[in-house]
Amino acid sequence: MANIAVQRIKREFKEVVKSEEVAECHIQVELVNDSFTELKGQIAGPPDTPYEGATFNLEIKIPETYPFNPPKVKFLTAIWHPNISSVTGAICLDILKDQWAAAMTLRTVLLSLQALLAAAEPDDPQDAVVAKQYKENHPIFLKTARHWANIYAGGTIREDDYDNRVIQLKNMGFDPHKARVALSTHNWNVERAMEHILNY
Amino acid sequence: MGYDLVRFQGEVDEELLCPICSGVLEEPQQAPSCEHAFCTACITEWLQRQPTCPVDRSAFTANDLKPVPRILRNLLSRLQINCDNATFGCTAIVKLDALSAHLAECEHNPKKPVDCDSGCGLVIPKDEVKDHNCVRELRVVVQQQAIKMSELQTELAQQKLLINEQKSEIMLLKEYMRHLRMTNPRLRELQTELENNEVLRWAQTLQVARVTRWGGMISTPDQVLQAVIKRALIDSNCPAHIVNELMENAHERRWPPGLSTLETRQHHRRQYENYVAKRIPGKQAVVVMMCENPHIPPELQVSPGLVMIFAHGVE
Repeated sequence: MANIAVQRIKREFKEVVKSEEVAECHIQVELVNDSFTELKGQIAGPPDTPYEGATFNLEIKIPETYPFNPPKVKFLTAIWHPNISSVTGAICLDILKDQWAAAMTLRTVLLSLQALLAAAEPDDPQDAVVAKQYKENHPIFLKTARHWANIYAGGTIREDDYDNRVIQLKNMGFDPHKARVALSTHNWNVERAMEHILNY
Repeated sequence: MGYDLVRFQGEVDEELLCPICSGVLEEPQQAPSCEHAFCTACITEWLQRQPTCPVDRSAFTANDLKPVPRILRNLLSRLQINCDNATFGCTAIVKLDALSAHLAECEHNPKKPVDCDSGCGLVIPKDEVKDHNCVRELRVVVQQQAIKMSELQTELAQQKLLINEQKSEIMLLKEYMRHLRMTNPRLRELQTELENNEVLRWAQTLQVARVTRWGGMISTPDQVLQAVIKRALIDSNCPAHIVNELMENAHERRWPPGLSTLETRQHHRRQYENYVAKRIPGKQAVVVMMCENPHIPPELQVSPGLVMIFAHGVE
């Protein structure tokens, strides 16, 4: 790994650890290996969003050419959000692509991701299914996002009716995660979700 | 890339850090409008990817970069930094602007060039001294030189071959020319005419000289003086084929009958004023070209022209 990348990551690592956001448990980074090429990030769901109270884990890979190229970041925690793939965790955010600037840091990237959770861009989606629901059935989107945050990311608000529908399918022998994906995709219509699982 | 922050004594202000490498600014330059400062190496590399400021995205290119203000340079130069060779035991702490001078002399630099004290005359990095073997190193040098010599010999042989080829081509061309001349007598005239035109054109570029004291003429100039005048003639773009001839004519032994002795010169004194004489640039000397003096009697001039050198009196 180039000297400049190591020097930057060491410093940024300290910057995040020292910063006030950590004291308030908003963002955090940990080293995965000694070579500084891979880190684990963590961000808290912002208040007044379906993600409030939840914590999301991120995979951060530092390219050889950092900071001239952006870090590769994806969600390890499953999340229901128009700009994040519910399948792979891939993120659609301009600063992680062509709008990257060399003065940005891990701290600013994590804060931007937090801001993305608070303000989705449904017109520039990563997950078309989620984006469609966000625009056409916004109340269902909010409940679904809250449900996912509760199940996968330690969010505190439960959506009992959604839990029950997943359990209903689980009792019929379906994998609960697959059931949840199918239900979320079909606006929690149980019959259509079953059809979906059986057809794929 | 900037200097690692851990190498500095005491606190370093955030403003002295490069936003790209996060080290202390090395050879800083700043963006034209927003004035953000970066290490030259860092910002150059970034601008190859994107022509914008890495901090605020204002647009600019490498050509727009400006030097940073003196105050910033002064603050940087005052910082105290440890030596690059600290890991090899150097304990020096120097001002940033004195670092390069220190590095050039640092005794702890493992690569510092030193003279071999066994007498082989080679300069070697300090850390290689203990494994240094004069005979082995010199053998390498000898081998390298042998290779170079054989290369040069090959080149020499090739050049010789080339010269011989060109020689025979020239012979052939000369032969052609001889035949051409024999079959077409006009060619020789044509050549003469071309040469004459060239001489005339050159003579016309020279300024007309006014000789105020014809008595200052030096009839037997020495070798040195002649060489100086010759140089000036060549510098004035005098056609190469007449330079030597003209210079031969700078001495009384080659002058025409009307000028050849003191007596005859006295006799013809009045006619001197009729000469169209041209100044040899920058010198107390003139040239009287035959092509420009058809009105002068033949015993007072010589082909292709006459060079007269004076002690003084040429304007």
